[in-house]
Amino acid sequence: MLIERRALQVELPVLSGMGTVELSETLASLGFPVDAVESKDDQTVLEVDITANRGDALSHRGMARDLAARLNSELAPLFHVPLQEGAALFPVRLESEACPCYATALLDLGGHGSTPKEVVAFLSSMGSTAKHLPAVDASNELLHRYGHPTHAFDFDTLQGAVIVRWAKAGETLRTLDGVDRKLTGEDLVIADERGPIALAGVMGGDATKVTAGSKRVLLESAYFDPRVVRRMAHRHGLHSDASHRFGRGADPAMAPVARDLLAARLQAWEGAVLKGAWLAGALPAAPQPVSLRGATLNRIAGETLDLGEAKALLTRLGCQVEIRENALEVRRPSWRHDLSLEEDFAEEVLRLRGFDLIPSALPPLEGSPLPLSASYLQARNVARRLAHAGFHQTVTLGFISPEADAPFAEGNAAEGRTLGNPLGREYSVMRASLLPSLQAVAEANVRQGAREVKLFEIGPAYRSTSQGPQEEPVVALLWAGQVGGEDFLTKARPVQAADLLGVAKDLGAANPNPVKELAPGLLALEMPLAALPQIEDRIIPRFAPFSRFPAVERDLSLLVDLDQSYGALVEATEKALREAAGAVFQSVGCVDVFRHKSLPTGRQAWLLRLRFQAMDRTLTSEEVDGWVRQALEAAQGLGAELRA
Amino acid sequence: MDLTLIPADVAKAHQAFASALAAAADLDALMRLKGEYVGREGSHAAGLMDLLKTAPKEQKRELGAAINGLKNAWEEGLKARQVELEAAKKRAASLASQWDPDLPPPLPARGAQHPLNRLMDRLVDVFRPLGYHVEEGPETETEAHNFDGLNIPEDHPARGSADTFYFQEHSGQLLRTHTSPVQVRVLKRLAPRIQELGGIRFLAPGRVYRKDEIDPTHSPMFHQVEGMLVGHGIGMHHLKGTLSYAMKALFGPGAEVRFRPSYFPFVEPGAEVDVRCPLCGGAGCRVCKGSGWVEILGAGLVHPNVLSYAGIDPTEWSGFAFGMGVERTAMMVSQTPDLRLFFENDQRFLKAMGGLD
Repeated sequence: MLIERRALQVELPVLSGMGTVELSETLASLGFPVDAVESKDDQTVLEVDITANRGDALSHRGMARDLAARLNSELAPLFHVPLQEGAALFPVRLESEACPCYATALLDLGGHGSTPKEVVAFLSSMGSTAKHLPAVDASNELLHRYGHPTHAFDFDTLQGAVIVRWAKAGETLRTLDGVDRKLTGEDLVIADERGPIALAGVMGGDATKVTAGSKRVLLESAYFDPRVVRRMAHRHGLHSDASHRFGRGADPAMAPVARDLLAARLQAWEGAVLKGAWLAGALPAAPQPVSLRGATLNRIAGETLDLGEAKALLTRLGCQVEIRENALEVRRPSWRHDLSLEEDFAEEVLRLRGFDLIPSALPPLEGSPLPLSASYLQARNVARRLAHAGFHQTVTLGFISPEADAPFAEGNAAEGRTLGNPLGREYSVMRASLLPSLQAVAEANVRQGAREVKLFEIGPAYRSTSQGPQEEPVVALLWAGQVGGEDFLTKARPVQAADLLGVAKDLGAANPNPVKELAPGLLALEMPLAALPQIEDRIIPRFAPFSRFPAVERDLSLLVDLDQSYGALVEATEKALREAAGAVFQSVGCVDVFRHKSLPTGRQAWLLRLRFQAMDRTLTSEEVDGWVRQALEAAQGLGAELRA
Repeated sequence: MDLTLIPADVAKAHQAFASALAAAADLDALMRLKGEYVGREGSHAAGLMDLLKTAPKEQKRELGAAINGLKNAWEEGLKARQVELEAAKKRAASLASQWDPDLPPPLPARGAQHPLNRLMDRLVDVFRPLGYHVEEGPETETEAHNFDGLNIPEDHPARGSADTFYFQEHSGQLLRTHTSPVQVRVLKRLAPRIQELGGIRFLAPGRVYRKDEIDPTHSPMFHQVEGMLVGHGIGMHHLKGTLSYAMKALFGPGAEVRFRPSYFPFVEPGAEVDVRCPLCGGAGCRVCKGSGWVEILGAGLVHPNVLSYAGIDPTEWSGFAFGMGVERTAMMVSQTPDLRLFFENDQRFLKAMGGLD
């Protein structure tokens, strides 16, 4: 909201002695941070941030009220001469509870005189252009100065009674901005006997607006239910100064006052003559008192506060306060809709004292802390291990395009994962896999000249179910480009699928998902975190005895077909070795693959390393030779032969 | 040496011997040279011996002496050169197995954690000594958890489809707009055990979504860290003490905090929390726009409605909650000029900004 420095000072004269920097700091300490200060001509305009709960502060008077309370100073008196209210000149009917009171007045316009210069300048500092129609400009000025929206109708365009009612479906209204609005039963309107003439609290109608030719005006200064106004403004996409203020809660008690001030301006500026003023409905009853217990106040404040001081602070804010034993009975002022619980009043006490005075202490540790969850620790450890293995952790958006998602979403309907209101098609589907996102990142890195791309991301993958989208935490890995070649010992070579599998195995994946080649040379693997081991409950596992006798290793060089299944070969040799050597057999694994034109066509050489170790003795060469023969025979059964 | 009786070609070869010897760069070349001069057959020496056999008797003595002189000179020369070359070979062999220690060594692979994850992990570490554990919640949430349970009014603009992403087929489900729904989930889950637990305290780091277009300061997906504590007699001083500790742990002992009144529907009182600018120490700089303070958190005492909604008696229990924008803090601390860099994931950026623990 914009605040003009001098206009604020008019409401609170003590501010004349305060610099703009100090004023900004004071406002911030009250909860109204100043986003910008702009000086133009002889005006200084502050852009103040007002939180959504403080509809009462959306005016110079409202802001001055809080400052006056903080500075313990008096607001300037309001130049308000209450109009003598009389009988209604014609019926004003309130047919909805959303409008409990409607103050109005009928005036003959003088037609001579215009909006004063200083008001034109004030409106301009508020970013608003004067229309040089006193009824319109005065209403606008009052809104910025005092916060209560008012409206003036050209009385001669009205037909019969004025009614505040819910619109009927099918009714339309052309609002002041020239837009034809279709109305629904949820729109509160001001209507005459022909139909709607204004959207209540939002905007007046075009057909009944005041023009230079208007002879008589009917003033409106009412109170509308904030929720109704908010919904209407939202539905019509019409966020006016009026709807902003009514939507955040106007002061019902200001309804007759604003009407009086508006009428007084018309009388003063253009010699308008009052024909009558009256109030339809009734001002809402005074709010119920709330008990603010001293104990609650002290708990929130973190120290014992004097109830007398608290009473004085709340009184300065316009509350009516009485001290009852160890509590305050507080009645909020009519403009503070945000105050309803004792906590709200406690906050006001602290706010006016200044949050800086709140003491600082660590809370006592009441119960035992809970352990860090296994899933959190697992994700954190996986991330650290992968980073140390040379992978870079990425953070990518959870939504992607349906085209990018589809290849990774077999049996996982995209519809159930699709947003109804995405930023665009390329951000519309919650991804079934992190791989398309990693691929895009990898390709960008390659374009940037990276020789080797090593990426991982941990995040949820989405699956459609009848209950809605389900998330499963996964880890995705991508590796592309050249490995090695960066030092004198490591030769450069292209990344292979086996490299990625090794990483997955190192993380503890028993049966990692197959490696996918997303694009030539772009290898990737994704697996659920659930497929990886979690942190063990036991800090150190149960002791398992180990052999102190030497292990014996034997290498077996085998010629096998190029399409020989390694799994089958290992399975066969393991089976034979378990049968022959029992627990002495430790492991078998391929430690080298040799492919060369010197080998028989269609064959390759695998170097298998067999490992034996007994718990109770040193193995003899003869027994090991026997087992190796058994392994060889098993391999030969699959067509392998010993390489000479 | 008298070479008058030596044939001219051999004399010439003798003159060339010294330079031929020097030119023999390895033992193979030396052996070839040896064969050429003193080999059993076809060498200069063998030729001279043949000459000696057929020489007239009166010349034999003199010729023999000259031949011996030549042979000795050659053999000595060859032997000396052989020693030299063998020594050189040995030295080369020994050098070949040594590396200059200044050669760049092979480095273990170095990746990086993402800077945003690092910052979140760091916050967990900071709060762990205060007894906070980590809670996680789903990104897909219900209106009940994301709004209702947090005292956010039914017609609050944040609920609108202009601010919040909703699922097409499951209109009641949305992408959480903050980590605060984790408050609702945890409070509801732990409410039955709260007496036994003696309160609740946790941190909830995570990803959240809001319908913002991507630009240098906005992203439709970003991260928050939510913190919450519920206990007996919890007040604003406890919030201040806790955040004061945390900011010092995060930014160093000079990190003062300042509270300003603010408003969030799920807390009362509510505050914006500023920290003394960690970059200029409060003197005023570009990051704090000269004010000496940077806004870093939203916080407050848990609204009684939030406790009641979860089934916790607000007349007995009270608490505080706070929420930090991870990107905003990361950008502030690192002076990263553009939020999009965090989502671009250039490996050079990740290495420099995230790195390894």
